[in-house]
Amino acid sequence: MDAHILLVEDDPSIREVTALGLRAAGFTVSTAEDGVDGLERWRADRPDLLLLDVMLPRMDGLEVCRAIRHESTIPIVMLTARADTIDVVVGLESGADDYVRKPFEMPELVARVRAALRRRTGGLGPDDANGAEPAISLGDLDIDLAGRTVERDGRDIPLTRTEFDLLVELARHPGQVFTRDVLLDHVWGYDYLGDSRLVDVAVGRLRAKVEPDPSNPALVLTVRGAGYKAARPAA
Amino acid sequence: MVGIRTRLAITLVALVALTVAAIGVGVYAFVESSLRERMLADARQQADFNLSVLLPAEVPRPTDSTTFAASGLPEAFALRGDVDTIADFGDGNPYTPGRLLGGLNELSPELRAIVGNGELGFAWQTLQDEPVLVVGGRQGGPPDLYFVFSAAAVETALAQLRIGLLAAGLLAVLVALATAGLIARRILRPVDEAVLAARRIAAGDLTARVPEGGRDEFGRWAAEFNRMAGTLESTVGRLESAQQQNRRFVADVSHELRTPLTALVAEASLIEAGMDGLSPDGRRAAELLVADVRRLRTLVDELMEVSRFDADAERVSLEPVDLGRVVATVVAARLPTAAVALPARPVVVDTEPRRLDRILGNLVDNARDHAPGSPVEVSLTRTAAGAVIVVADRGPGVARDDLPHVFDRFYKADPSRTGGSSGLGLAIAAEHAALLGATLRARPRPGGGLIFALTLPVTQPLPGGEGADMAVRDDDRESQPAPGSVT
Repeated sequence: MDAHILLVEDDPSIREVTALGLRAAGFTVSTAEDGVDGLERWRADRPDLLLLDVMLPRMDGLEVCRAIRHESTIPIVMLTARADTIDVVVGLESGADDYVRKPFEMPELVARVRAALRRRTGGLGPDDANGAEPAISLGDLDIDLAGRTVERDGRDIPLTRTEFDLLVELARHPGQVFTRDVLLDHVWGYDYLGDSRLVDVAVGRLRAKVEPDPSNPALVLTVRGAGYKAARPAA
Repeated sequence: MVGIRTRLAITLVALVALTVAAIGVGVYAFVESSLRERMLADARQQADFNLSVLLPAEVPRPTDSTTFAASGLPEAFALRGDVDTIADFGDGNPYTPGRLLGGLNELSPELRAIVGNGELGFAWQTLQDEPVLVVGGRQGGPPDLYFVFSAAAVETALAQLRIGLLAAGLLAVLVALATAGLIARRILRPVDEAVLAARRIAAGDLTARVPEGGRDEFGRWAAEFNRMAGTLESTVGRLESAQQQNRRFVADVSHELRTPLTALVAEASLIEAGMDGLSPDGRRAAELLVADVRRLRTLVDELMEVSRFDADAERVSLEPVDLGRVVATVVAARLPTAAVALPARPVVVDTEPRRLDRILGNLVDNARDHAPGSPVEVSLTRTAAGAVIVVADRGPGVARDDLPHVFDRFYKADPSRTGGSSGLGLAIAAEHAALLGATLRARPRPGGGLIFALTLPVTQPLPGGEGADMAVRDDDRESQPAPGSVT
């Protein structure tokens, strides 16, 4: 694997050892030491994935995340020192796909990075591989699996990779209830007890983009006490 | 110990009752004797007149009851005042008016003896169930005449007086009681206020004070009490702010440690991956380094966790959780050799899976670290008190005196064993349990070892859980968690 990762981290030791570990795992790594620098590097290098520290000089990670989200659906993994609810939720709401708590061991970080990149390359299961199902629909949404685009009435709706995968996972089996754990496993690649807030925040962001009325969802439904499901087509 | 209120009331009422009783008895005695004396004087006068004027005027003197009745004397006697006459002729056949028939035998022998001696005698008594005054005498010789005066008026008056006095006495006692209550309340009001203030202080409200103002003993006492409360408040305030600084310091330190620790952990993980190329000594040093960095990481993690509890920064968001699944996953991840007993039906409660994971993880880690090699049993049961998760080991256990301290921070049952644990795990588990509204208890296990029991409150009907929940809302046959979800 030869994906290009941009690492934005202000502490030199952490930056150096993380870059070292990522390169050892086979990635191409470029680094930046503050938010403004990070944004410039991102424009210059066009990496495949962004590893973004939250606490950064000049421009913090959340702002960088929001700025990039205006232009790109690149996978963003936050590095957060605190697992506090507010920090994590704000981070996810500003557009991050996943987060890794500091301190982290390199294998753990590499696994999260790989999981985030896998989404990009479409590791969605056997259905994709044979290409028998190039497009599905959910309500009035047309989902092109091969092109990874979502359209309503011919107009493109830009989704991040996580949001797209979440939508596809649900839309493939309309009416079937997915627990948060199952979604964490299938979409984020967690095999044990990930943070269910990832799912809730991503569902919220997805709804904001695809629902005609996000406060009264008609496509991505909450099943109280269980999880989420996609609406079944009206008979 | 009888209260002041009661003692005051008893004293006052006793005083009033005694006084009232003395006055009542005196009044009664005086009235009774004067009433009786007046009646007796009248009766005597009448008897005298009857004996010395009317009787001698009747000639010849009647000698038996027949002649006495015919003489008209009884009517003459009665003319001067309402009186019945009994005449004893000593022949066993006395004259007796119809309604006093047999009355002679009811007269006392003493009276009859006095009259037999020729003197004038009297007696208060009842005759034919009526209160009467009997005055008897003779004039020269037989007959002995007994004049019977009705004493009903006197007795009725005395009875009314008794009732009146009793009522007045009772009223006085009641007034005394009420007065005692009022006085006691006046006197004891500062005491009641002090009790309230002390209770508030005991409950943690150190701003409570007693109203001051009185110049009496209570006033001085209240001032002293308030001075004490003031000292207590400022001392506790100082202690609290010191403790707060302390906690902030712990939070700051662990936060500052975080950055170098993050580098250390990442570096150690890289060294661990590249240990194969090192010399045996270097390899051993690298292994120790990696293990120690992990220990340091656990300690800092737990310190940060603890300082978050202290900062009250914890928010709980509940969701339905299948407890059996959490128990199974925690055990599988941390101590796969432990025996797990789960009920046949899923137990689903509203709780927070991350905290539950921390609690169970710490309990299982504790059993693994403190009872190494001993069999550990983990069970989930549904009881009336809630859902109970038990982690039981066969380790060395804890002395009974130390049992209350197992949830203390940095408590270690055996100080000589340092092991890999920070001594914060059980304290953290207890804090999480409290946030979930659950109780975490430790008790010795019969036969050796420790039992930890986590009791989670059940807020929704238990049977069914996810499956039943969905069946109601979703008619889809596939309303099960998606395939492959079992971890």
